[in-house]
Amino acid sequence: MLSVTNVGKRVETSAGELEILKSVSFSLAAGASLAITGASGSGKSTLLGILAGLDVPSCGEVELAGQSLTQLDEEGRAALRAGHVGFVFQSFQLLPGLTALENVMLPLELHGVSDARAKAETFLQRVGLQQRLQHYPQQLSGGEQQRVAIARAFASEPDILFADEPTGNLDSTTGAHIIDLLFDLNREQGTTLVLVTHEQRLADLCQQHLVMEGGEVVGFNGQVSDAGVLTT
Amino acid sequence: MKRLTLSWRLLWRNWRAGEMKILAVALLLAVTVVAGISIFTDRLQSAITRESHSFLAADRVINSSQPIPLEWRALAQQHRLQYAYSTQFSSMAFAGDAMQLAAVKAVTEGYPLRGKLHIATQPFTTDPQQITVATTIPAQGEAWVDARLLPLLGISLGDTLEVGEKPLKVTRVIAEEPDGGNSFSPMGPRLLMNAADLQATGVIQPGSRISYNWLLASEDPQQLQAFLQQLQPRLSVHERIRDVASSQKRLANALATARKFLSLSAMISVLLAGVAIAIAARRFASRHVEQVALLKSLGAGAGQIRGLYAAQLLWLGVITSLLGLVLGYWLQAAIVQLVGDLLPVTLLAPGWLALLPPALTGLVCLVCFAAPPLWHLPTVPPMKILRRELPVSAVRQYWQVLIGLLALLLLVAVFSGDWVLTVSLSAGLVVLVALGLLLARLLLNGIQHYSERSGSRWRLALASLQRNRQQTLIQTVVFALAVSLLLSLTGLRTSLLEDWQLQLPPETPNHFLLNVAPHQLDGVKQLMSDNQLTTEQFFPMVRGRLTHINGVEPDEEKRERTETLRRELNLSWTDHLNSDNKVIAGQWWDSWPAGGRVGVSVEQEAARQIGLQVGDELRFSIGGLTLEATVASIRSLKWDSMNPNFYFLFSPQSLDDFAPAYMTSLYIPSQQKAFINTLLRFDPTLVVIEMDRMLAQIQAIVSQVSRGVELMLLAVLAAGFLVMWAAVTSSFSERQQEAALLRALGSSRKQLLGSLWLEFSLLGLMSGVMAVAASEVLLLAMQRWVLEIPVRWHPGLWLWGVSVSVLLIGAMGVFACRRTITTPPAVILRELA
Repeated sequence: MLSVTNVGKRVETSAGELEILKSVSFSLAAGASLAITGASGSGKSTLLGILAGLDVPSCGEVELAGQSLTQLDEEGRAALRAGHVGFVFQSFQLLPGLTALENVMLPLELHGVSDARAKAETFLQRVGLQQRLQHYPQQLSGGEQQRVAIARAFASEPDILFADEPTGNLDSTTGAHIIDLLFDLNREQGTTLVLVTHEQRLADLCQQHLVMEGGEVVGFNGQVSDAGVLTT
Repeated sequence: MKRLTLSWRLLWRNWRAGEMKILAVALLLAVTVVAGISIFTDRLQSAITRESHSFLAADRVINSSQPIPLEWRALAQQHRLQYAYSTQFSSMAFAGDAMQLAAVKAVTEGYPLRGKLHIATQPFTTDPQQITVATTIPAQGEAWVDARLLPLLGISLGDTLEVGEKPLKVTRVIAEEPDGGNSFSPMGPRLLMNAADLQATGVIQPGSRISYNWLLASEDPQQLQAFLQQLQPRLSVHERIRDVASSQKRLANALATARKFLSLSAMISVLLAGVAIAIAARRFASRHVEQVALLKSLGAGAGQIRGLYAAQLLWLGVITSLLGLVLGYWLQAAIVQLVGDLLPVTLLAPGWLALLPPALTGLVCLVCFAAPPLWHLPTVPPMKILRRELPVSAVRQYWQVLIGLLALLLLVAVFSGDWVLTVSLSAGLVVLVALGLLLARLLLNGIQHYSERSGSRWRLALASLQRNRQQTLIQTVVFALAVSLLLSLTGLRTSLLEDWQLQLPPETPNHFLLNVAPHQLDGVKQLMSDNQLTTEQFFPMVRGRLTHINGVEPDEEKRERTETLRRELNLSWTDHLNSDNKVIAGQWWDSWPAGGRVGVSVEQEAARQIGLQVGDELRFSIGGLTLEATVASIRSLKWDSMNPNFYFLFSPQSLDDFAPAYMTSLYIPSQQKAFINTLLRFDPTLVVIEMDRMLAQIQAIVSQVSRGVELMLLAVLAAGFLVMWAAVTSSFSERQQEAALLRALGSSRKQLLGSLWLEFSLLGLMSGVMAVAASEVLLLAMQRWVLEIPVRWHPGLWLWGVSVSVLLIGAMGVFACRRTITTPPAVILRELA
């Protein structure tokens, strides 16, 4: 499902060029789950962005759902995301002016799904929010907002789901509920899951685990490498 | 189709979320104001034009020294024009032994096509009961005459007079003729007769000096225009098309000034609305950056996002334009309702063309003011959803300003059709904005210095101005722009009205007195002083023709083309120049060689038409005698001063040998109207030309136009408010956050309110000073070059302009930001989180 070869990222800063990601390689089979952990500034989010096609690497190759992301332009990557990718964010990223139902409908409408409303209602029901369809984000608790975000992510039935610190803004109890929900849906849908977290408990639930530090992979499934280039 | 439906849904959701409200209201107001102005102006304009056409008794007149070819009628019928003929000439009218030169006008049914012919059953009556509007023309065998013709011929109403061989019974007195006051002519009192009697008079012979007029009118100006275009190639040197401008210089000037002012008002409204839209669009864009990043992460491509936002704008444009047109129509209807009774003319239904500017305004405002700030949205990197700090490359601000300015140029050009006005105003604005930014920067630097030594409220206010430096600069300039445009327009309106009143001061001469024989001069002066009437000067006057220029006789074609060569001229001499005359070339008599040749001073327009220059030799034929003169000077003069003025003024005493009669102009109050009878009884050969009705008509039109001008100001005021409102609310979110934090940290509500007052009052002060300075410059330039009215300073503006700016912006800012203080900080912080 996901194959990463020698991916690196350099950015221009006022102090000169900075390498924020160094030669990352791994691959992930369809239906598998991967946790990316590391301290703040270790390059987790940059890597997630590149894996999901939100950003392009400075070097290396990323293949997602059988397509080379580096060969695609911005429109092509958007089309790939539309067909295969779902997201869950730390700050939920719900549009404040839209109800819970409308937030879930949005990606379906963008992709021209005809029964967007029914589908969105089904997924909101699956995350236990059938009573909250017409509520606006500010009328929902943090946990409820993240459940809406999860419903939105799964509603378009993606092949791969990227989650960026999905429990980062939640208390531990709510976070635990959200994790259960995420993994339940993941199993039911057979979705590949890539999540960025610094919660060890969450990382332990994933089949694979990638540890980052200073833009390099320093550990993969318990093995530590000096070169930071590991494959399963 | 799916995309269109989705965009509609997104628009509705954005609207519901309050994201689009300011943008929509700004657009709606722009279209409404422009529609209101456009429709009202169109109606007022067509009513004024129609009213002014009554001076011609038609919309257009084809004037010729030859009979108008009758076959042209087919073309007029084809364009569904109304028409009538009038044939004018001077001829002796006889009654028994008495005879008098009369200005005969023979008309066909339908005359007058525009304006009204007032007739009376009593001579010299001012009683409205006895004056009626003629619904027809004199029947065959009848004549309607100027009241003064009756004592001149010693007859009464009902008696018979003769024109040539045709006896005509005088059945009515003419109280007011729509086309009677076009130009004063000493041809004698008016005699109106039926054109069917013309043949029987036998006075029209080959070589007779006749003025043939074909009066034309149409409810559809385009038909008239099309007709004139087709007729144009068929016109010979004899025929000329006369319109209001050529027949009524004074009125045409007043209307042209009014038109300029109205288009200026419309333009300023558009400019203000455009600024409001741009500000609202910037705010909308900044709030949508993250939304776009989210949409992209959800798989929307840049093209799809551009399409979705463009379609939302399109929906918004269509809805607000339609709504704006309806509201604009209501607005003008309300204005008409409000002042309709006061307007001296009946407004006509608006034309469809009046809807074009507002419709175009909506579209152009969207494309040029709203689209540039939103243009970059599709290029927002999707990665921004994960990393908020990523930069977004928006369309550079100077490009946005440039596009806005181009849009303004386009709209203003469409509105006013006046490129000079458009370019000069736009250039002025660019300079104003550039200087404004510079000045605001300097003021802010000064404030920074002061803030270090001030109390807590001041420090908070000054710190807020400093912290949002970029925003403060923009707001100051936007406020200054709005205030200066409002002030300029107010000042301009005052100048304009004063100028109009100056043009027609009270006791402006309203009668011309002609044909005073030298031996009667003292008697007439005595009569005038007995009746407490005064006049400036009596001018000696003879009638003569200009026959040779530098020894050469002008050919027939040149005579036909040049009015001053075609007709007899009123010639005079004077030793001192009236205040409304100015020598622009050559020399006046004080430096003219005494005892030398006879000199003549020529009016500049006549000199231009004939092609005369200082030093040219002219020969005049006066009553069969010849007078040779050298062009000594060229003069400019104000024809609308109502003082006697002449194309040709000779050096002193040079006309004494030609038995001149004297003329003057004088003011006769309406209650002393009977003085004309006294004069005519004293000497029946005197000619009195009554200009008072025409002057009253002009006064009425001027007062109507000025009322329209005042209404335009209200519309511009509304647009000005909106700009300020948009500018204040554009910084609302940041202010809300800051206020919530400050309150959470223990600042009191009173403290924050005080600092808000101070902050916005300071903004108002900076903007006010800049605005007043700018409007003073703008006003002087407009007076001097655009409206061509006397230049005046406006010292009062500095006091009340700055005060109003401080109060207005202070109050508006506090009102707009009141929620930042009244809402509990916890609520705000939670909402913002």
